[in-house]
Amino acid sequence: MKTAAESSAPSAEWEGPGCGRRRRFRWSELLWSIIFPARSHRIKPTLTGMVLISMALGIGSAAYNTASNILFITLSLLLACLILSGVMSWQNLRGVCWRLLLQPPLRAGQEAPVTLELWNRKALLPTHGLWFELSARPVPRGPQRPESTVTATSADIRAAFARREAEAMSGRLRLRERLDPDQQARLDWLFVPARRGVVRVELASVGSLFPFGFLSKNHGTRLRREAVVWPAPVAYRVLRPAAALRQSEGERVARPGSSDDLLALRRYQPGDSHRLIHWKASARLRQLLVRQFAAESAEGFSLWLQTPAAVWLRPEQFELLCGLACTLAEDLFTAGQLVLTAVNAEEPLPIRRVRDLESFLDRVAVLEPEDGDQRAEVSGQPAAPKPLGEGGRTEVRGQQVGDEASTAASASRPPFVMQRRNVITFAPEGVRGVAAFVDGNKTATA
Amino acid sequence: METRRPQLNLDELHQVRWLLGNGLALISIATVFYLEINAWVLAAAAGIVVLATLVRPTLPAHLPPLAHKLAFPFIVIFFAWDLYSTGEVLPAMIRLDLLLLLYRGGSYRKKRDDLQVIILGLFLVMIAGVLTVSLTFAVQILVFTAVTLAFLFVITLVEGIEGDPAAPAPASAAGVPAWARVRWRRLARRVRDVTDWRLLALGAGLFLGVVTVSALLFMAIPRFQLESSFFLERFMSKKSRTGFSDTIRLGDVVDIQQDNSVALRVDVSDPARVPVVPYWRMVVLDEYKNGTLRTSRRLQNEMLISAQQAPYAMGPARPPRAAAVFWTFYFESGISRHLPLAGPFYLLRFREPQWFQQQNMLLMLALRNEPVAMTAYRIDGMATDGFIPDRRFAGILQEARAATPDRGGAPEAADERSRPAYPLTTLGLPDRTDDRLTLRRAADEITAGAHLTPHDFAERASRWLREKHGYSLEVPAPAGGGDPVVAWMKTSQPGHCELFAAAFTLLARTAGLPTRVVTGFKGGDWNAYENYYMVRNSHAHAWCEVYDGATGWFRVDPTAGGGAVTTGQQNVAGGAANLQNADRSWGARLDSIRILWYRRIVNFDQRTQLALVQSLRDATNSFGAAMRYSFDRAWLSARMWLRRPWDVRRLLTWAGVVVGAGVALEFWRRAGRTWWWRLRGRHRSGRADPVRRRAGRWLQKLVGSRGSGDESRKVVAELQRLRYGPRAGWPEPAAVFRRARRAWRSGRRDVAHAPDGGGAAEP
Repeated sequence: MKTAAESSAPSAEWEGPGCGRRRRFRWSELLWSIIFPARSHRIKPTLTGMVLISMALGIGSAAYNTASNILFITLSLLLACLILSGVMSWQNLRGVCWRLLLQPPLRAGQEAPVTLELWNRKALLPTHGLWFELSARPVPRGPQRPESTVTATSADIRAAFARREAEAMSGRLRLRERLDPDQQARLDWLFVPARRGVVRVELASVGSLFPFGFLSKNHGTRLRREAVVWPAPVAYRVLRPAAALRQSEGERVARPGSSDDLLALRRYQPGDSHRLIHWKASARLRQLLVRQFAAESAEGFSLWLQTPAAVWLRPEQFELLCGLACTLAEDLFTAGQLVLTAVNAEEPLPIRRVRDLESFLDRVAVLEPEDGDQRAEVSGQPAAPKPLGEGGRTEVRGQQVGDEASTAASASRPPFVMQRRNVITFAPEGVRGVAAFVDGNKTATA
Repeated sequence: METRRPQLNLDELHQVRWLLGNGLALISIATVFYLEINAWVLAAAAGIVVLATLVRPTLPAHLPPLAHKLAFPFIVIFFAWDLYSTGEVLPAMIRLDLLLLLYRGGSYRKKRDDLQVIILGLFLVMIAGVLTVSLTFAVQILVFTAVTLAFLFVITLVEGIEGDPAAPAPASAAGVPAWARVRWRRLARRVRDVTDWRLLALGAGLFLGVVTVSALLFMAIPRFQLESSFFLERFMSKKSRTGFSDTIRLGDVVDIQQDNSVALRVDVSDPARVPVVPYWRMVVLDEYKNGTLRTSRRLQNEMLISAQQAPYAMGPARPPRAAAVFWTFYFESGISRHLPLAGPFYLLRFREPQWFQQQNMLLMLALRNEPVAMTAYRIDGMATDGFIPDRRFAGILQEARAATPDRGGAPEAADERSRPAYPLTTLGLPDRTDDRLTLRRAADEITAGAHLTPHDFAERASRWLREKHGYSLEVPAPAGGGDPVVAWMKTSQPGHCELFAAAFTLLARTAGLPTRVVTGFKGGDWNAYENYYMVRNSHAHAWCEVYDGATGWFRVDPTAGGGAVTTGQQNVAGGAANLQNADRSWGARLDSIRILWYRRIVNFDQRTQLALVQSLRDATNSFGAAMRYSFDRAWLSARMWLRRPWDVRRLLTWAGVVVGAGVALEFWRRAGRTWWWRLRGRHRSGRADPVRRRAGRWLQKLVGSRGSGDESRKVVAELQRLRYGPRAGWPEPAAVFRRARRAWRSGRRDVAHAPDGGGAAEP
């Protein structure tokens, strides 16, 4: 928990009753919200509340039947306690903001942390006993059909909803400590994404029994965040040693490193050695710039991922393909041997930085088998690459395939032609497996 | 650096929960002690167990598991046996409640057990309130509510931390939860550290708000007059004092006089109409035998037959012609089922429909059962002159005499059935002949052979008794056999009111005057704070009523030191005398709170509610007119004040006022506002600091100004350091502010000389 004095106004990420401009209080709105609460706001009596309501009904009946003012007093006190409970509950939630922070990378099958930050913006009153209902569900890929039709039976609708709910992961976070005025708190939630794709993490509601536990109040929120889930890493078997794959004429990789070759200039950052400051450039541009050297150039591989639907018929095999591609890309990047990646006929992406690799992983995370309208022309057969042709080069010609708009946009670009060595491609192996080929030679299987 | 307010951990919250739960049980158990129910032993046992476990929370761990298994069957069997043996539902339920509280207070509780403690406690408090209608209930329900809310608050906090309420608390190998090893002093220190006085004040304010809202709800809840009587009294019986029952023995009234508590409170709409010494009649005892006075069987039967359930009773008096005086009686329980009356009345209204018996001939009105709670009733048109009109009695007496054969002696042999019935009972004498002879001799001595009117005889007989006997509450038993009253008359020993009344009755009857003894209260204390009559049990009294032969009964008070003997010689200018002798003691002040409770709360009904609505409407209507009138007067006063000549003294006075206001305003700006911000907790972000606030104001002025660039930027940078930076790195604030002023002026000059005309001035 920390003091939130660094900023007096919440940024756009924050949501909750304490954010935004304070609306003018109107009795009509309050009464209307009691009669017709917002869609996601639910108030449910608890056991204590049921006891209180039953007691109030019993005492009220006895009071009217006996005209005993003692019973009327008791009834009045019970009702006043209910009002007090409502006021305190409203005060408890007033001025509280929350935001969701996702910490990428998210990877299928691995725990993903979600941080919920809370901020009590009240001046005097602390906040107690809130709980937060979180859910994470995969975002369906592609256009979606309705879950049911007009003619669907209730069983069908229930089954459809059950399927959707089965995909979702939910959790409850509790604010176990008092959140003092002008203080922030962080609550962490871990969930495990089941598969790659885009996952939507949502703060479904904020609930509370505060202060007396009469009513369970749920305040619905619209706070949601989406994140890309990378494929799960897969175990693969290398059929030929990597060293043997290296060709003398392989691609060379330039990335920041510690060699003597100057790669680029960048802005000075605290912690940089003063020896790296490029004084001339700094004087010219009136800001401190430091030299950035290149790493050892090394022979590299290009990874080309093709996903024609006609080839990748089995979904589980396709998932394995994505996992293998990502795993290989990461391993090669770690070894400093990944030069370039390409997905189908899309523009190849040179891999120089971590961010480039992440872009590739992001792309693979949402990758789907492509339909037959594949315009990429590949020398050799994509599904079963042949050994290298003349010069040991693989030729790639094509353009991005997508909707008409993107096709029209890419039509204005000249089709790219890529001729490289050490191009890794993939093909199904058997019913379940996937094989990786380097220039047509089977190199690894998963 | 600011230190964060600590928080109680889970164990400490459990300890507070335990403290509040057992405290709640103790508050509830305490109600039994003033409930006057035979459950004191059980209540004491429950109190001791709950208190012991409250102090030592490890004790419940020593209870063997078998005890928990047997507890519920035992409690059920006990309740069944209790109900069967006593036959009273309500006391049995209260004892059952106590047993459950004992068990719950003496064992570790889960959440549902805590709720059970609250319900059991509320039942006890509510029953005590309903049965006693006591002011204590008001205090107790408020304390109970406050503790319950705190208890539920802590339960909610515990549940919020534990998450799963069904999860059992971690216990050690010996079955003792970790939190049970309490060190109360340490806990008290922790609670003190955790408590913020502002939140405490806010909590107190909220609770005050609850009380206010509940008071408003109490007044606003619509009332309907349902024709049903109070139901709890059916499940419980209560015994009253014997001094105010149908049969009393000599000395019973004196026993009541030992008690100084207030038995009756009387509100009068016109205090001037209250007699100096009012007599509150309760029981008429027309039959006398061997030291025992009682209401004769015939009259008792007539009372029984007259039982009815109604919200009001019609009296023998006619409707009042002049402005009616309303008498509101608040008669405490446990005294009698006979209601005190000052005289013949026109109409008596109860708060709710009541079962009652009425004998207009005797002017007696009694509830069918002993009231278990305070009884409130209002009387319209009540005479207080001590005269009970009864023109029929002479005829009835004559008929009875004619119908009764003369037994001609040997009265000792007469059995119960052959004894004379009313109205002959008003002439009944002791059975023994020698007692009658004694009485005859005394009567002759009083009359001295003359034929006296009833009033004269009453006067002389009372004087004769007063001369012969003094007044004392301690009366030794008279020696010898025979009738005790006659035996006392033979001596010169002092006596109490019952002896005087009984002796006078026998003397008057010997003289042939129908006479009866009346018990009730005499006098009272006028409460100076709320203007009502407080009649205490020590005002219990016995006196006589003598038939005047034609029109009715007049009151005679023969007791020595009792003031005027007969009616008509007193009860004048009562209001003024009462106000002069009003009780202004602390006891009266405390008692006035009770009458407020009775007036405003207990006696609040549909009629009062309508009157309240009407008064609110009237007040609202008159408020506007009053405001307009006040404004007109203030405006006129201001104009007149301005027109008065201004001299030096006046000028100096007002100059002083203006300067004082300025100083106060400056003080508020310098210190008061900082204090207010600190109070609101904004000091955390540093905004309460006057230097930071001043720097913020200058920043607002300078940011965006068109002043000279470098100097303005430097000043802004330094102001930002003052506004946001750590105090250790501050530049000299005064110098920075001077430079800021110069920069701002320079900026204004630049703007003024700008080619485009300058535009608007900076803020």
